[in-house]
Amino acid sequence: MYKTRILRLLAGIAVAVPAALLLGASPASAHPMPHSVVLLDVHETSVTAELEIPLGDLTAASKIDDVTGQEDALRAYLTAHIKPVTTDGRPWSVSVGDISVTEAEQTSTGPYQELDATAVLTPPAGADIRHFTFDYDVVVHQVVTHTVLVSVRQDWATGKLAEDDDSATQVGTIKIDVRSMTVPALEVNLESGSTWSGFVAMVKLGGNHILEGTDHLLFLLILLLPAPLLAAGGRWREIAGARTAVARIGKTTLAFTIGHSVALAVSAFTHLDIPAWPVESFIAASILVGAIHAIRPIFPGREAAVAGFFGLGHGMAFSFVLAEMQLSTGRLALSLFGFNLGIELVQLFLVALALPAIVVVARSRYGRVFRITGASVTGVAATGWLIARLGVDNPVARAADSVGTHTTGMLIALTVAAIASLAWTYADRRNRVVPPPAPAKSSAPSGKSSAPSGKSSVAARKPKSPALAGAATEPAASVVTEPAASVVTKPAASATAEPEDEEPTGE
Amino acid sequence: MKDETVRPAKPAPRRWRGVAIATAAVALLGAGIATANAATVGDKTGGKNTTKAAAAPQDPTKGAKGVAGLVNAANAFLATLDDDQKAEVLIDFSQENAVAWSNLPCAGTCRPGISLGDLDDDQLAAAKAVLVAATGTGKGTGIDQLNDIVAADDLLAADSSGSTGGGTAPSADPSASTDASAAPAPSGAAPSGDTGGGGMALTYGSGYYYLAFMGTPSLTGTWELGFGGHHMAVHITYKNGKGVSASPFFLGVEPTSYTDADGNTVESMKAQATAVSALATSLTTAQKTTATLSETFGDVLVGPQNDGNFPTTKEGIQVSKLSKKQKQLVLNVIKPWVANADEATAAELMKVYEKELDQTFVGLSGGTGYDTQGDYLRIDGPSVWIEFVCQNGVVYTDQIHYHTVYRDHTRDYGGEFTF
Repeated sequence: MYKTRILRLLAGIAVAVPAALLLGASPASAHPMPHSVVLLDVHETSVTAELEIPLGDLTAASKIDDVTGQEDALRAYLTAHIKPVTTDGRPWSVSVGDISVTEAEQTSTGPYQELDATAVLTPPAGADIRHFTFDYDVVVHQVVTHTVLVSVRQDWATGKLAEDDDSATQVGTIKIDVRSMTVPALEVNLESGSTWSGFVAMVKLGGNHILEGTDHLLFLLILLLPAPLLAAGGRWREIAGARTAVARIGKTTLAFTIGHSVALAVSAFTHLDIPAWPVESFIAASILVGAIHAIRPIFPGREAAVAGFFGLGHGMAFSFVLAEMQLSTGRLALSLFGFNLGIELVQLFLVALALPAIVVVARSRYGRVFRITGASVTGVAATGWLIARLGVDNPVARAADSVGTHTTGMLIALTVAAIASLAWTYADRRNRVVPPPAPAKSSAPSGKSSAPSGKSSVAARKPKSPALAGAATEPAASVVTEPAASVVTKPAASATAEPEDEEPTGE
Repeated sequence: MKDETVRPAKPAPRRWRGVAIATAAVALLGAGIATANAATVGDKTGGKNTTKAAAAPQDPTKGAKGVAGLVNAANAFLATLDDDQKAEVLIDFSQENAVAWSNLPCAGTCRPGISLGDLDDDQLAAAKAVLVAATGTGKGTGIDQLNDIVAADDLLAADSSGSTGGGTAPSADPSASTDASAAPAPSGAAPSGDTGGGGMALTYGSGYYYLAFMGTPSLTGTWELGFGGHHMAVHITYKNGKGVSASPFFLGVEPTSYTDADGNTVESMKAQATAVSALATSLTTAQKTTATLSETFGDVLVGPQNDGNFPTTKEGIQVSKLSKKQKQLVLNVIKPWVANADEATAAELMKVYEKELDQTFVGLSGGTGYDTQGDYLRIDGPSVWIEFVCQNGVVYTDQIHYHTVYRDHTRDYGGEFTF
């Protein structure tokens, strides 16, 4: 029954996902001539306008022929034609910053050059930043067939945090009124925002960030991969109890969380201006270390400490996202909390999703192959990233990056693995428990004492933590039921082949 | 210690259950994606190649002249269509339908009517007979000119793949796939030529021209013939068997000059370009100063969706200030656009514009070489409105191309609508 339901669900996913990808595209209006674009980022006390102006029309309008070396003249021209005013007629201040020329192309225009400039628009003290008259006639005052599209790209208070230009919301068009041959100003009335919408958007941003940032997740998963194993003599040898594994996974995840939260908070509040490449390289190195550890234990039992340490680097990388948003201190604190909350929620969800597979596969006959393969692939990807982030672009890094863009596929794979693992465990356990339950239960305590005693590392550590000792009870009990079961279902003696595969090999 | 990993004995099939589920899921996912891909590929290639000329059927006008002949040809064309096709051609003469036109290569997404690329050979021949009956027969104007402009668009279709530079892999760039969604006409036709390499999905080519009858073609009542595609929007309106308006009429071309299959040089808008140049160069320095407008133009001012938006104040030099010879040059400029309609209709309209000539203004902007972006000439009369502008090439980026529009302050769409 449940199987058909699962199959139906998966079939649904299989059809829905490609359909969603195909329908995602929306029609764009075509313009015969390149138009200007004004992208507004609405902050708490100012609005940043990013201008993209086709150079040909700008030259025709400003009479400034050669852009290079004419930055001051261009700034003066732009300032003279950008005049936001309050609804009661008081002028805002305008300051034009960086100016550069880039190549561009719009639908059906062919390639052309455009001028990119940034202007900071600041309302007079006490004036409403969400309602103003945008008196803008750059180019349009002269080239009367020119059009300016004005959009809001970022508006924290309404939860709009768009990091790319394409998702900007158009607020209006500036063009000549042909009958009067004048350029009417654009009335900008932004929908009212709230702290709550900004906060919720930050939570979503945090969640998306971890979902799309393959490297953060990969680091954590690779560190968790050997969690169900015990190291001895520099190799991964034996299988720890399920509870031990879960507890280790919990500790490692928690340590990673603390590490990156601390680093995120510190670097965001101190406005630490660290270049991205050392941080990104450090992250790539952390994954490589994790991958090596998954093959041969290099810091067994200290995974949590390592996760915490490398977590610091991952936290700094998270802070780059916040830094780009240029938030005021009040909003930054709230954003930090929301962003981190989003990261933790999604991380917790993904770890929970991966957990059954990690535990079950490690105990199966494929555990070793899976671990070695997974760690090797991850190691190769990490090496590729490391080399790329140190400045040498390479196909391995590009391939690894592209995996991160297929979030849906990753989620489906994890879900399928989790379902398969749980189904396996369920089928397994039912098969075991059905025969004679009584002896299995009664022999549990003795099994508990005997089973771990043979293990070096766990036996040594167990007394330190009563919680861990308690956690070991359950798996130990199930261990004992196993021989009992195998005795009963004697004909299937081939089952003994399985432990032989696994047990002595280790690493 | 060995006990820990001892697995219970169990029937083999059960062990593989999880694997089977996972395998089935992967297979289904794969099938889903494959199906979706197949559908995409189908959309892109499932078109017809029906743009080659077919033998003209026996006189579809049934020997009638003027609008009567046009109505006969229109009915002959309709008789070749099935009901679904008829519904595409025969639409209401509503303001909404009338103003839905464009000069852009946006196929059927921005204009009504049936795509020529959707027609079989007989239907296409019948459609062309309608156009011949509706438009002027002058050399270099009317149907002759329209054919050359459509042919230029086939050239764009062939040459644009490499030069629009929009990237050729549809999935490589999200903005490209956005454009692609505008490519297929509602009817789903992808005619000869391709869609500009798949990346930009600009629908160039003779298959992407659309014919519509707004209202029922007849000798009584009011109806309009609409024909358009890239660089072209023809609107001719008839009232009680008489042509009353030949505007709005958008006309443009890229490339401005090309060599056809027979090795002949074709300058499809030479009639307009020559007349414009002759008028501009006839002006004295003083007249030019008066005529020159303060603004710069990158396109026509009163283009599509700008119906009724004429400047309230006329600018430039008043034709009454010009010499008799120059006045004739002004009429010469107006004529090639008006000659888009059949001779009788064009003659009626020219009579009006000639009578209003002294209240008409000529405006200039940019240079008068008509070879540089922004070179612009405008005729603005009590009725007539003509704009001619040079614009940088889109496909042939080292050349300019022309955009022009002819409108009538009161007669656009037969004066049926107020804006």
